[in-house]
Amino acid sequence: MKVELTAGPMLRGAATIVAFALIVVPIVIVVVAAFSPNDYFQFPPPGLSIRWFVEFFGLQTMRSAFALSIELALASATIATILGTFAALFLARRHGAIAALLQSLFLAPLVFPTIILGVALLLLYKTIGMPVFPGLLLAHCVVGLPYGFRTVLASAQALDPALEEAGQSLGADPLRTLFLVTLPLIWPGVLSGWLFAFIVSFGELNTALFLTGPGVTTLPIEIFSYLQFQGSQLVIAAASSVQIALIVILVAVIERVVGIARITRAR
Amino acid sequence: MKSAWGWFLLTPPLVLALVFFVVPLVYLFWVSLHASSTSELYGAALTLRNYTDVLGDSFYLTIVRRTLGVAAVILGLCLVIGYPVAYFVALLPVRRRMLAILLLLFPLMVSNVVRAYGWVSLLERRGVVNTTLRDLHLIDAPLDLLYTPSAVVIALMTILLPYMVISIANTLAALDRRYQEAAQALGASPLRTFLHVTLPLSTPGVASGTLLVFLLTLSAYVTITLLGGPRSKLLVSLVYDSVTAFQWPRAAALAFVLLALALAFTGLILALLRPGRVQGAAR
Amino acid sequence: MNAVGSDMQHPADVQLVGVRKRFGAVAAVNDVSVDIERGTIFSLLGPSGCGKTTTLRLVAGFEQPDAGDVYIRGARVTSMPPYRRDFSMVFQSYALFPHLTVAENVAFGPRMRRVARGDRARSVDEALELVKLRALADRYPRQLSGGQQQRVALARAIVVKPAVLLLDEPLGALDKLLREEMQVELRSLQQRLGITAVFVTHDQEEALTLSDRVAVMRNGVIEQIGAPREIYDRPRNAFVASFLGASNFIDGVVVGREAASIVVETPGTRVSVPGDKASGERVRIAVRPERLRMARADAQGLPATIRDIVYRGPVTHFYMDSASGPLLAYQQNARAGDWTIGDEVRCAWDPDSAVVLDGARE
Repeated sequence: MKVELTAGPMLRGAATIVAFALIVVPIVIVVVAAFSPNDYFQFPPPGLSIRWFVEFFGLQTMRSAFALSIELALASATIATILGTFAALFLARRHGAIAALLQSLFLAPLVFPTIILGVALLLLYKTIGMPVFPGLLLAHCVVGLPYGFRTVLASAQALDPALEEAGQSLGADPLRTLFLVTLPLIWPGVLSGWLFAFIVSFGELNTALFLTGPGVTTLPIEIFSYLQFQGSQLVIAAASSVQIALIVILVAVIERVVGIARITRAR
Repeated sequence: MKSAWGWFLLTPPLVLALVFFVVPLVYLFWVSLHASSTSELYGAALTLRNYTDVLGDSFYLTIVRRTLGVAAVILGLCLVIGYPVAYFVALLPVRRRMLAILLLLFPLMVSNVVRAYGWVSLLERRGVVNTTLRDLHLIDAPLDLLYTPSAVVIALMTILLPYMVISIANTLAALDRRYQEAAQALGASPLRTFLHVTLPLSTPGVASGTLLVFLLTLSAYVTITLLGGPRSKLLVSLVYDSVTAFQWPRAAALAFVLLALALAFTGLILALLRPGRVQGAAR
Repeated sequence: MNAVGSDMQHPADVQLVGVRKRFGAVAAVNDVSVDIERGTIFSLLGPSGCGKTTTLRLVAGFEQPDAGDVYIRGARVTSMPPYRRDFSMVFQSYALFPHLTVAENVAFGPRMRRVARGDRARSVDEALELVKLRALADRYPRQLSGGQQQRVALARAIVVKPAVLLLDEPLGALDKLLREEMQVELRSLQQRLGITAVFVTHDQEEALTLSDRVAVMRNGVIEQIGAPREIYDRPRNAFVASFLGASNFIDGVVVGREAASIVVETPGTRVSVPGDKASGERVRIAVRPERLRMARADAQGLPATIRDIVYRGPVTHFYMDSASGPLLAYQQNARAGDWTIGDEVRCAWDPDSAVVLDGARE
């Protein structure tokens, strides 16, 4: 728009600065605190130290929580993406009421309060005697499914349907068409779906709250427990910074591989 | 042959979604209709007492009211701050806009517990805010900023703001500029163009942002607990407490009351804003 | 195995027998039966929604018929999936695999048929040579122009030496000059290789240029099948007549019968037309504008007044009013007379140039 209210742009600019500050400052504080040399956080910090990172990796509980979070994220993202890809390939060219219903089902965990899912799953697991790690894994697969589904669906629908038909006209059966024609063309959607599912699993709290147990904790839950029962210790800042660093690396990877346009449109 | 392939694709994700999403929720609802039991997960008798207890008890009703109040304030703030930011972002040239959205997406990927911890560090008695105010000699004793509903509001609002901004920004950016140009050609001032053209056409984004923020507010247990403390509990905290006390039917009923609130609000927003009528306004 | 209804002398490469296909409440293809002879080019012509593309896709196997059968080279393929039928296809959007080079695209078919790498490379080379694109073998589709992409699509389809080549509006995306060039090339390629080809088009000029036989379709039904000249000169009804080009329609009554023709009385004149109708019957005759001769007012013929004259390069269009309704005549400018608007003329044509239309299928 060329013609605008002069107050408008200034207001918007001011709002944007305030908003970004409010959103980003808490995260920055945590990272800065992680490098604090003292026992408590001082702002501005008197120096930089990595003692809290050393302590973080020194604590067995923290280490195993971190390792578990990574394992869980790797496994659940992979399963969620494979299943999400199947669902997307099935629904890409189908229309009608049932297709719409299925699509809503696969996307539902995105908006559904996952804390209630956590409660429901815990109840179910207690009733049937499900061991902890598989139960948690399945919960994260459900939570990650929409992410694996959504981006692959967008990629699959953007494909010219004639391409798959061309493959068939040249003699490729559905399986070969999938591997030689479809997958090579939708892999950015699959990869970005996987990365989102990984990130979501790594930071997931609401189902992990109920489904973790003694010896089986994720990093976010470990941080939460620490905060609740031992107060604001700076080792938490280090733990949080490790999580943030991982996210930054992954986002940079997505951006390199898949491109910024695809990530922002995927939302 | 085609249908065999189709079933092969559909069955695994469908099984996952049904068995580990739909079935547990149905089971939870089923349990909410049973009496409590001290020895088993739930008693044998079917009853609606769990719901009537919750809806009749003033304690629970206060919590529900507080929950809705907090949600309303957060929503209001997100809308008031979020809309202008979204407008700003939508007007940016494409590359910068995508960068802005990426910058907004990044905090969403950081776990809520980390972001809540950031606010704890800011608001606690030895936190950044208090220390700075004391260093500047504006206050003598540290303020009790933490463990209040306001702390929950501030933290949750900033945590959920990106959802609102991204929703609205994407809708605004996709709007065909020609609608605004047509309005101006017909004599509307920039303000009136905004009120009568841009704002109504942005309802899908506003609706989805609002719903997202509301739903996430209802279920943000960790943030509410860390910043609200034991005295500022909301509905979701009660669900958690019931579970840890092994009162499954009570927990289930509370969970479904929460869900009912979410559904009711969704219906309200869809009816009020009617985002469906502006389908097709995007380029 | 003997193909149903095929003459062993002239084997039909493709046969559709009583094929029907519905989409919801709409019958897209309604009882279509066609025999396509080996080595010929057959076109399905008609307006949008007439069922021509659906018919093509039924031959390919991308759609399954609700009733009827499809045969390719005598084998009943009705329930066979596309990847097992002996055909290949050139798509409207070309559908070149974007992640493969030109050579890899063309090699795809042979790869599916497990042709050895050496033979494969040779076939690809030959095919690309035929479409004159050997130099671009290592390029990617996005680096090619529309015309080049179309050729690659063609090469990819012919390299597998299919029993039948299907083409779905293959030249639709090209500009006029390129399209005419490709029409000639397509025809010469097909004749060199002797492939049976079926293509779909809405452009009657293209159908008439390329085909050995044309099926004109409307609302899922074949209105008329025949060689281009046959359906152009002898259209069965007003729809076919108008679809293949402009036509004059003159209504009249049969007043007499001769050897192989009837005498028709129209407002303004009495003419002889080849046909067989009973005396007293109302008929509609069609005459192509290029067959309508214009003469001065003192000559024999249908009286008409010139309403408009439009110069069109090689010909001039004359729009006239007569007692039998509006008339259109084309005059070659090399031999044109000197006419002006308002002139009184007499229109006549050779009796053989007129056709009695099937009134029942208006």
